[in-house]
Amino acid sequence: MKQIRIIFAFCALTAALPTVAQVPYDRLVKSDSEPANWLMYGGNYYDQRFSGLKQLTPQNVAGLKMAWAYQPTRPAGNVETSPVVVDGIMYVTEPPSTVTALDAHTGAKLWTWSPLLKNVVAIGLFQTNRGVAVLDNRVYVATIDAHLVCLDAKTGAVIWNTVVADNKMGYAITGPPLAIDGRVMIGTGGSEAAVRGLLDCFDAKTGKRLWRIWTVPAAGEPEAATWGNSVPAGGTTWNAAAYDPKLNLVYWGTGNPAPDWNGDERPGSNLYTCSLLAIDPVTGKVKWYFQFSPHETHDWDASEPPILFDGVVGGKSRKLLGFANRNAFYYVLDRETGKFVAGQPYAKQTWAKGLDAEGQPIVIPDTGPSSEGNLVFPSITGAINWTSNSYSPVTKMFYVDAREMGSYFVKGTNTHWEMGKFPMNAGGERALSGDDAYGAIRALEATTGKMKWEFRLHSPSWVGTLATAGGLVFSGTDEGNFFALDAVTGKPLWDVYLGSSLRSNPVTYAVDGKQYVFVTAGTTYFVFGLP
Amino acid sequence: MKSIGAVSLVATAICMLTAAAQAQIPRDPTPIVAKTSPADIANGKLLFEATCSRCHGLDGGGSDGPSLQGVPDRLGDQAMGDIIRGGIPGTGMNGFGSLNAEETGQVIGYIRTLGRTAEAAVAKGDAARGKSVYASSGCTHCHIINGEGGGVGPELSRVGAMRGPSYLRTTLLTPGAILPKEAGAMERGRWTQFLFVHAVTKDGHSYEGTRVYEDSFTIELKDATGKFHSFRKLELTKLEKLPGRSVMPSFKDTLSLPQLDDLVAYLSSLKGAQAQ
Repeated sequence: MKQIRIIFAFCALTAALPTVAQVPYDRLVKSDSEPANWLMYGGNYYDQRFSGLKQLTPQNVAGLKMAWAYQPTRPAGNVETSPVVVDGIMYVTEPPSTVTALDAHTGAKLWTWSPLLKNVVAIGLFQTNRGVAVLDNRVYVATIDAHLVCLDAKTGAVIWNTVVADNKMGYAITGPPLAIDGRVMIGTGGSEAAVRGLLDCFDAKTGKRLWRIWTVPAAGEPEAATWGNSVPAGGTTWNAAAYDPKLNLVYWGTGNPAPDWNGDERPGSNLYTCSLLAIDPVTGKVKWYFQFSPHETHDWDASEPPILFDGVVGGKSRKLLGFANRNAFYYVLDRETGKFVAGQPYAKQTWAKGLDAEGQPIVIPDTGPSSEGNLVFPSITGAINWTSNSYSPVTKMFYVDAREMGSYFVKGTNTHWEMGKFPMNAGGERALSGDDAYGAIRALEATTGKMKWEFRLHSPSWVGTLATAGGLVFSGTDEGNFFALDAVTGKPLWDVYLGSSLRSNPVTYAVDGKQYVFVTAGTTYFVFGLP
Repeated sequence: MKSIGAVSLVATAICMLTAAAQAQIPRDPTPIVAKTSPADIANGKLLFEATCSRCHGLDGGGSDGPSLQGVPDRLGDQAMGDIIRGGIPGTGMNGFGSLNAEETGQVIGYIRTLGRTAEAAVAKGDAARGKSVYASSGCTHCHIINGEGGGVGPELSRVGAMRGPSYLRTTLLTPGAILPKEAGAMERGRWTQFLFVHAVTKDGHSYEGTRVYEDSFTIELKDATGKFHSFRKLELTKLEKLPGRSVMPSFKDTLSLPQLDDLVAYLSSLKGAQAQ
């Protein structure tokens, strides 16, 4: 009898489930026209993390209650996922590389897929996964052992599984793929294992590699002149990207050169590390690059997700790109040309006098790592790290999760390295006490970086921001608070304590006309809505 | 191009060996013993910086990974070496099978030097007499040793393994002068423990005590009687953090210098609960 009831319940559940819709490229391009869905990592190709949903407002957000929670069975690592929601189905990832489909209305698990992982090499990074991409009726995920896998969106069955790079050499993937018209792009991590940075593009249907960009040169290539006599390494591509379908350009940031903290053996600017690359996704050609931190020695990757927006500068409408860099400067670039438009610090920094007319840092001498430890702001983890910012076309503000923290940067002497063998940390940090550090959600005027308001956090956080047309900004704290601020004033409107550090980018979606907000804390996935 | 290919082949071969060794506790049966000569410790420091500091902090005090200070004392060299070379499955602790037994011993030798304040100093008093001083000075009201005592202040069962005599003496004379940091996370900084806080509510009530918990919206104090008080920060008219102050009294005027030496010797002897 019991068994029958269970079967009946199962049938009722599956009958009530929404059907999986196809997500053609055209739907992704027009994602802003269907705010009920959160169709890709950054919400839209501009990576704005802005939702057009207006049900939740400053007036009613205090009434938010938990709608459901989901807990993975055995999460092996930090939960840092940012879901994709398509027509009532939510695709989340679980550490290290599992994909699970949930009913976005109830949290019920529909299917789950995990790769077979053996002898994973993960050097200088957490074994986690930050999200998937969806295209047509397929879900794409990259794994910690550096595979790109295509799953059937209805069942989780593997359609293809391609090796991106050799995990044994230290290549590992935690970031989300970018799916565009018939193509899926993916980068990797591994700078601390001194791998050679790369960015790959695959045929979305077959998994065949269409092109590869090496982000640092081979010996003899012109850019090798920016590396002294060393073998160029690092410049990995481990975080999310943005895409402009009209310009047909993908914007992807690159990480630090290797070895970190001791740049003696790599004199020069170390192209194309700590840079933003604008890439033609059809040809794989780099149209332009912008290097934020030449000859970097603080581990300030330029891997932060860029945000595309259109704004007025000097009375002229411009296609722009906003970038809050780990080095504590906010940059505005012309996204057609890569030319510097504006920039200023958005958090405390003590390493540069400012930016020159080209956006290059005017570096203060003796602000690199030293053998005794040199106190510099921001810290090794940066004024921001992997989390995403948001941009509201309503307020025209850029909402950044700023980390106010310094480190004593220590220069190590062990600069010998062999690719894939060893963590290549030629130094490190002694971070300041937690009581000498704090965090802040800051609203910047997107076209200039001028701060409009801030909301202080007890400690530097690892939570992205989410902006909504309802006039809210959601974010969270490292201590475990999830909260909503007024997008115009920064006033706190609602908060709830979730009992463990939040480590994800919140998203919002709607099912059956009701708006929900998603975030994770610890290893639990929470969804909130009005009762 | 040819030479690059050759280099990468060699690197691949090396890393395949490394990966094989990482899969399990290495088969190398050489016993692991901490190496403690100055040259060993110097090399251990280099290896530690390159291998361990990213997660455990340059001072081994913990960052993404836990604090390693005092761990070799608790686990012993062999168990420590097995973890270093074999990792801890299901955690962020990878195995570093590329380290041989000697290098592993050097790393352990270096870790043994970390986190000990005034390590070279030796307590000069008498621990047995110090135990009586501890019992008669009111310490048990606020501190627990091996399960006995009150819970207002920190538990002291292992304090001799973690803090040197100089630190203990300073704390007895000027409590709050040197506050320890939690073995917290690099990514947000390690908070000061036992921070003294003064809070005033909107209705004018004033509260003092040790910070037990704080986040962006709330703070929790433990007062001198051990009572907890929880506040929403937005509802406070004043919130002062007063490093240097403490709910613990100074023993500067209540203990003689010999008594102080004896008490420091007793506390220094506390290296953890005895196995039953």
